[in-house]
Amino acid sequence: MSRIYGDPIEVWTRDAEPARFVWRDRLYVVRRILDHWVTSREWWKISENDPGERRFWRVEAGAGKEIGTYELRFDTASGGWLMLRAWD
Amino acid sequence: MFPHLHVASAYSLRYGSAFPRDLVGRAAGHGMDVLALTDRDGLYGAVKHVQACADAGIAPVVGVDLALGPPAGPAPRGGPAPSGDDRVTVLARSGGWARLCRLTTAAHHAGERGEPRVTRSMIAPHADGLVVLLGPRSDVGRAMAVRQDERARALLAAWRAEVPGVVVEVVDQYGYRDAALATRMLALAGSLGVPAVLTNAVRHLDPGDYRVGNVLDAARKLVPLHPRHLEQAASHAYLKSGAEMELMAARVCGGDRDRARGLLAATRKVAERCVLDPLEVLALRSGDPGRLNLPEPGEDPVPLLRRRCEDGLPARGLERSTEARDRLAAELQIIERKQLSGYFTTVADITDMIREMGVRCAIRGSGAGSLVNYLIGIGEVNPLDHGLLMERFLSEGRKGLPDIDVDVESARRLDCYRAILGRYGESRVACVSMMETYRARSAIRDVGAAMGLPPHEVDAIAKAFPHIRARQIRTALSDLPELRSSGLNDRALQTVFLLAEKLDGLPRHIALHPCGVLVGNAGLRDVTPVERSLLDFPMSQFDKEDVEEAGLLKLDVLGVRMQSAIAYALDEIRRVDGVDVDVDRGVPRDDAPTYDMICTGRTLGCFQIESPGQRELVAKLEPRTIHDLIVDISLFRPGPVNSDMVTPYLESRHGWREATYPHPSLRGPLAETHGVVVFHEQVLRVVDTMTGCGLSRAEQIRRDLGTPEGRARVQVWWENEVLPEFDRETTDHAWKVLDAFGSFGFCKAHAAAFALPTYQSAWLKRHHTAAFFAGVLTHDPGMYPARVILDDARRCGVTVLPLDVNHSGATWQVEPLPPPAPRDAPGAVGGLPRMTALPANAGTRGVSGAVENPPQSGAAPANPGTPQVPAGGGDQGGIDDLIDRMGAGYGLRVPFSSVKGISEAEVARMVAGRPYTSLADFWERARPSRPVAERIVQVGGLDALYGLRPGGPRWRPGELTRRDLIAQIGALDRASSPSVQIPMGFSERIEPGELPEMTEAEAVQAELEILGMDVSHHVIAFHGELLDAIGVVRANELLTMRNGAEILVAGVKVATQTPAVRSGQRVVFATLDDSTGPIDLTFFESVQGRCAATVFGSWLMVAKGVVRRVGARAVSLRALDCWNLVELDEAWRTGGLAQVRAMLGDPRQDAGAVGGRRIRYGNGYTISPYADLGGAPGMHQPPSKLWHSSPGSSGPLDPPRPRPTMDLTTPRDPRPRPARDPRRT
Repeated sequence: MSRIYGDPIEVWTRDAEPARFVWRDRLYVVRRILDHWVTSREWWKISENDPGERRFWRVEAGAGKEIGTYELRFDTASGGWLMLRAWD
Repeated sequence: MFPHLHVASAYSLRYGSAFPRDLVGRAAGHGMDVLALTDRDGLYGAVKHVQACADAGIAPVVGVDLALGPPAGPAPRGGPAPSGDDRVTVLARSGGWARLCRLTTAAHHAGERGEPRVTRSMIAPHADGLVVLLGPRSDVGRAMAVRQDERARALLAAWRAEVPGVVVEVVDQYGYRDAALATRMLALAGSLGVPAVLTNAVRHLDPGDYRVGNVLDAARKLVPLHPRHLEQAASHAYLKSGAEMELMAARVCGGDRDRARGLLAATRKVAERCVLDPLEVLALRSGDPGRLNLPEPGEDPVPLLRRRCEDGLPARGLERSTEARDRLAAELQIIERKQLSGYFTTVADITDMIREMGVRCAIRGSGAGSLVNYLIGIGEVNPLDHGLLMERFLSEGRKGLPDIDVDVESARRLDCYRAILGRYGESRVACVSMMETYRARSAIRDVGAAMGLPPHEVDAIAKAFPHIRARQIRTALSDLPELRSSGLNDRALQTVFLLAEKLDGLPRHIALHPCGVLVGNAGLRDVTPVERSLLDFPMSQFDKEDVEEAGLLKLDVLGVRMQSAIAYALDEIRRVDGVDVDVDRGVPRDDAPTYDMICTGRTLGCFQIESPGQRELVAKLEPRTIHDLIVDISLFRPGPVNSDMVTPYLESRHGWREATYPHPSLRGPLAETHGVVVFHEQVLRVVDTMTGCGLSRAEQIRRDLGTPEGRARVQVWWENEVLPEFDRETTDHAWKVLDAFGSFGFCKAHAAAFALPTYQSAWLKRHHTAAFFAGVLTHDPGMYPARVILDDARRCGVTVLPLDVNHSGATWQVEPLPPPAPRDAPGAVGGLPRMTALPANAGTRGVSGAVENPPQSGAAPANPGTPQVPAGGGDQGGIDDLIDRMGAGYGLRVPFSSVKGISEAEVARMVAGRPYTSLADFWERARPSRPVAERIVQVGGLDALYGLRPGGPRWRPGELTRRDLIAQIGALDRASSPSVQIPMGFSERIEPGELPEMTEAEAVQAELEILGMDVSHHVIAFHGELLDAIGVVRANELLTMRNGAEILVAGVKVATQTPAVRSGQRVVFATLDDSTGPIDLTFFESVQGRCAATVFGSWLMVAKGVVRRVGARAVSLRALDCWNLVELDEAWRTGGLAQVRAMLGDPRQDAGAVGGRRIRYGNGYTISPYADLGGAPGMHQPPSKLWHSSPGSSGPLDPPRPRPTMDLTTPRDPRPRPARDPRRT
């Protein structure tokens, strides 16, 4: 089962890929990247300028001993990260 | 280095966004040494790609991305049909270009037009020259995507069995599950031992271009712009660098570096197998005539051409001319060295064949400069007579191929194509294509449709724009006053315009080029892919530049409406007068009456000299010979106008100024035009004289002047090469002339070829006036609507005969009239009967349009402050009288085909069934549809049969009317239904009804609606009283106006043009027609703020202007203001004259000036970005409401009601000068 969150989080990257992130005051270390994809945005509703894209990572990460699967999203326009979903 | 093997350019119609040259430039920037172009559905961009690659030192690969279709035969309906979206990419292997061309052609012939399809079995026969990439969009990839792994494996095995050169293509564009699919396809390939390659399925140059791709997808699929319809991660389909592709390789190989390296190496290997030798595609570059695709005349072409030229010398009376023999020898030498003899004999065969078909055929363009073309009968222009040069057409130094252009009758052009195809066969002949690109209107249409706007709104919005580039849309909205006030600046439309601008300049669809025909040998389809055009002609996928690069020889067969009009006129002369006129060889080319007419500027309808500017120019230039016409045609071009050649030429010609020459040695080339450079040929001679470089080199120099870079090069060359005997001043002066002339000027050979039909049309107008107009009206060769031509015919004394079921034909026909009868001969509407349906107090000017009712002398001078100036010279008036009568004795009959909505079959039945004895007889045998029958009655088609005279003596109860006939049509229609039995004889009897006959106004309104022209009266006639009241000057009075006088004029707007002019302004030229002649108005930018919307938006106009006398016979007006006549009329009827005067005096809201940056050329020439855009926007057709109708009136067939009467007590004031606008002094 996955839950949807949408919390802003802080992420550290290595080689343009997420390596560690802090979510709800806990530090998670990325162990494996399961998937990565991007989507473009409905730019014609926003502005003429390139609104950039949204990059998604599905990762296996752990805080301490707990290992889980998480989906992170990076918005190239705002430069912000979100915790989208987490699997128990 | 990574090679991209799957790349779509903008030539993937409505799919790609980058042009081949830019893609190649980017690849070079990435350090790549191989690049493929694999456009969707065709090889439209292939030549451009190979050219760009060769220039950039990159090895080209060419392929095509094709849809997979069901096997030949009826498409299997129902069941799990293969998705119509499956696609494969096919690359040519080295040496496989011909295979690729053949496969592309086959794919286009297998599918529906424009939807090529291939199957495995179609590819199989060409497999040895091709490599097939099966990517995520292929049947194999799609099966994998839906996890039908076994099916995918079976499909791949089947592919490999039929097409040994099959390769699996893996792509990862970072979409959801892209990478996973790529990994699995890689595994599949590995397990079957099929090589795999990595591509990026490129669509764009830069990441941000995906937005254009989104709009293109929406436009192509006709869906709204919504994420549901779009590719998710389109932003990664750009031309990625090698490093980015290595990253991708690592991703799809799950981080396994060795496998990633292996994948890249396999990709490289396939690319190297597919590299093409550029010369395989670009035959012209090789410089080897043997690589050209030359026609095969069947015998050795060299002696054949020599023999035909030898035979031509005596036939043209040139056997004793040493000049001709020398010239012939020189031309043949060049032709033979270039191995083009076969081309010339083939073209001569084709023109012979066209003439044998009875189709008029004339040479045009630079080909007229070749004596060979004259001798072997391709053209009728002797280059030696006019000093035309072969070098302008074909020369030693010129790399390109010659192309001979011939004009044929437009109505027979496709017959000519069919005949050429018939003679040489489809395998050797193909038409040239051209890419239509997105401009403002087409972009708005496509985006509007994609956004789901209602079609009629999209249409109205698109038509509001002039023919500008799509990227100018929003600038134009703020620059042009008529758009600023249009309400289009609405926020809701902003998105449409924003998206439309993104499509700027992209190819939109492929179309048949208007004239290019390739004639080659049996190998033609090895060097060009061929698809079917809309009209089912074989059409090369290459445009006219590409076919030349590909070494294909073409002939331009252009349909010219004037040739059809001339042919039609000659047929009418033969039919009516029994005279066979040989207008090509049997008519003197120095006929004084013809030139007399041309000099008066009454050249409406004539080829090349009917536009307002040309009518002004011929009146000033006063041509007396063919050579004068050649100069006239050449002068009326942007080049000579730009470099101010017109005034000095005219001054020297008329002896007001002595001809000067920059140097005495230039007198030779320039004497024919009094020291002014008018022709390309003169540029060549000047360059040759001053540098001694030879004419061939001079021609190259002239061509170089066309581009900014070339101009800079030539300037340096000029400084170095000018011979020492020319001093500084001469050198600079000559450079200035050459520079200004640039490449804008005109080829004299072309003008000479044009001058012939110009003269012929004028000769026909002068001597066979009615037949000439019949031809012009039937084939519509010019810029004016039919009603203007018809009006001119009337002014030339031709009687216009109304539609008559017993006399009208399928097309306009001439009828000889009985010798001059009393004025109101029944049936002849040329002599217009006095109007009776006008307001009761209709003035004396009511029908001044009538030919036989010259304007009454009582016409009030419009501006009493203006002394009357006698018109021209005394004899000029005589010529005018002569022209007024030159068509007398003949009538022109309105044809059935003019009736709105009539079908060809109806026309044929109507003509075949003549004569008719009654309406019922007509109904019975001609079987018109009910609306068509009603329309024919409404415009008087049965008047003669029933003796109806709308507008004649007043109708009295008991008289039959058109309304009664229409009622009868209703009865006949009901009786035709099988369920109703009508007693015999019933249908022959028509009872007069109780409604009165139509008025003249209603009749004219019906004519405009149904025939598109006013036949019985000129529309302006109904406004005569108002126009008199406000003191409007008529066109035939213009010559009596003092220069500088400020006057009012009125008329139907018949033409608007915005040509490029010297000042760089957007100048609007409008022509009004007020039944006594054309009135030419010039609207400068200073007045467009308040005038533009009215000029473009109204059909009947009143304008105020300042008289500009530009020659003895030439007058034009500088417009100050203008009004919609319909609105003035409305005001007049509701508020009387006072209100009209108030409107005329009232300075209106100014919508602001015309904006936009001038375009500036290197030589200082500037033009408005809105100049010369072709057809102007706005009103060209009469609106549905032309004049005031009383409230409650629902149409022309309603009984007339009393009109509001004018205040009869107000004396007519001959001086209704509107108060001067204080802002304009």
